[in-house]
Amino acid sequence: MHGVKRTRQSREAEEARKLKEQAKLKDYLLLTEDLLSRKKKKDWSKEAFDLATKLLHSNPEFYTIWNYRRNILINGIFPSSSVEEINSILSSDLSLTTSALKAHPKVYWIWNHRRWCLENVPPGPSSPTGEQTQGWRQKNWEREMYVVERMLDADARNFHAWNYRRYILSLFPTPPPPTQELKYTTHKIESNFSNFSAWHQRSKILPLIWEKEGKEREEEMRELEFDLVRNALYTDPNDQSAWLYHRWLIGPHPDPILLTREITSIQELLSEQPDSKWCMESLVHYTLLLISLTPETEREEMKSECRRLLAELAGVDPCRKNRYQEISERLGV
Amino acid sequence: MTSDSELLVPLHVAYIKSLGENKDDLVYHMTAHLRLNAIYWGLTALCIMNQKEALDREEMIGFVMSCWDDEAGGFGAHPDHDAHILATLSAIQILVIQDALDRIDIPRVVKFILSLQQPSGVFAGDSFGEVDTRFSYCAVNALSLLGKLSELDVEKTVAYIRSCKNFDGGFGACIGAESHAGQVFVCVAALAILDRLDEVDHETLAWWLAERQLPNGGLNGRPEKLEDVCYSFWVLSALSILQKLSWIDSDKLSSFILSAQDPDSGGIADRPGDMVDVFHTLFGVAALSLLGYPGLVDLDPVYCMPASVIEAKGLRKSWQALERRSK
Repeated sequence: MHGVKRTRQSREAEEARKLKEQAKLKDYLLLTEDLLSRKKKKDWSKEAFDLATKLLHSNPEFYTIWNYRRNILINGIFPSSSVEEINSILSSDLSLTTSALKAHPKVYWIWNHRRWCLENVPPGPSSPTGEQTQGWRQKNWEREMYVVERMLDADARNFHAWNYRRYILSLFPTPPPPTQELKYTTHKIESNFSNFSAWHQRSKILPLIWEKEGKEREEEMRELEFDLVRNALYTDPNDQSAWLYHRWLIGPHPDPILLTREITSIQELLSEQPDSKWCMESLVHYTLLLISLTPETEREEMKSECRRLLAELAGVDPCRKNRYQEISERLGV
Repeated sequence: MTSDSELLVPLHVAYIKSLGENKDDLVYHMTAHLRLNAIYWGLTALCIMNQKEALDREEMIGFVMSCWDDEAGGFGAHPDHDAHILATLSAIQILVIQDALDRIDIPRVVKFILSLQQPSGVFAGDSFGEVDTRFSYCAVNALSLLGKLSELDVEKTVAYIRSCKNFDGGFGACIGAESHAGQVFVCVAALAILDRLDEVDHETLAWWLAERQLPNGGLNGRPEKLEDVCYSFWVLSALSILQKLSWIDSDKLSSFILSAQDPDSGGIADRPGDMVDVFHTLFGVAALSLLGYPGLVDLDPVYCMPASVIEAKGLRKSWQALERRSK
């Protein structure tokens, strides 16, 4: 029960609730029993299909009934349908489950059923010369992009929706260019810097674009990313999302000049926000990276700066003080 | 002591026992698709509170066996429900805890589990093919409990988990997915069972996990999200496998979990003041066990089962919980 407030009910109120529920419970049990026995008898009729719709409407988590529904389609309905009809049945199943999704945005089984519907959309319609087009698929895919965007409007962190979005993008008959997806993440980030899901998506899309556009364009785009993330860091230095993204942007093997520039920039932010845990934490991380790129004899000053920051971190962020102490001890005295 | 500082063991035991007695309640029937999982959650919570006998063993084994789906060769969550890897793992875990594995046709179950592995190395939940690293963990855990890991293509299984690793050290549900504490638990625990923790970036992941703790002591599952008791277990489990439990404030976390108890009717909720359920009750109790809460039984964070059961099977990996306090 995620996020449902606990209420105290008297015994009488509880009994009254159960009594009121009895009719609903009886209907539910009868329908369940009917469908499970039809399933055993391999009843692949349209009537069973409609009953499944009804049951899934009251309980969209009943995975066995989702399976049964698909088996009715595969074994009973598709064999006697034309490809046009199959396309239209699957399109209407997608429409039908959209309302279920809005009411239950985190139910795995509904998302899963949409994937199955999409994957089974047949090629077509035929062109005048008799060739199969991808028209039906393209149309269904486009509609799914629309649905998933509405789901992300309602909850911009819903990981089911993000996973489904990546799934659609990866199987699009004619996919939109990755730059369009990058724009989408920019839009999501600009409406809320704290949306780490969108930053994460950016970390997956940019490498695809860079691979295509070459080193020079990558360098230019990286600088724009630093501008975007710096803007976010200055807007709310306590928000983890942008700091995590900054770490991705720097990467595990940065150029020392770039690293030094970013360290200086964070030091400036720290001077404005002297208690900022994330400024200090990031400075320690990046300074440790820089130490690994520096000759042994020139490391001591940086090490002592790290030790100073780690001691301060243990004070401002006591929950994680053991971690700071451990890193400090590893640095030696 | 108030409910904020003490685990209300007798109330939680009574709450778990009462769960099977609500058969006139709509919610009871609407959650039938989780029944076998719920029995595993309840039984494991009872074991950790040293009250295994509170539920009848024979009745439980009988119910598990009534969930067998003979067509597929696996377990459904309820009699007449379809076989699924989630329910199959719960069935195996219950039977192992009750020392009753001899009741099942092991080669058939192994065949069912292995049939779910996809060419990419990930596992599907059932024949309809939804894939998720959760299902990879279910397969690895179940095969290990059945003593049949040697039949698994380990390289392929590990390769998929590796491809779900993100720059923050965490893991997602599938390739490209955002890191999530629940998925981190399943991936790290699966790698632990397969002796492949070398795939994990220990330092980065332990940092990311430690940053799940919020000022109120609770843990969230992703950056800038709310705390929830179930993440207590998922984050702690991964931290204890990485041997970095000391990187969070255990006292504050214990207080948060205890404050999510229902002091009148027992059970633990996702957060203080919410409705309790058996899922959060297990993960709250499991987390407290790892934090060394006095009087509790040791929990194995890799299998999420009593540590003594895993040790007896010779399956213990090198995790580290906090030392059990005497009071």
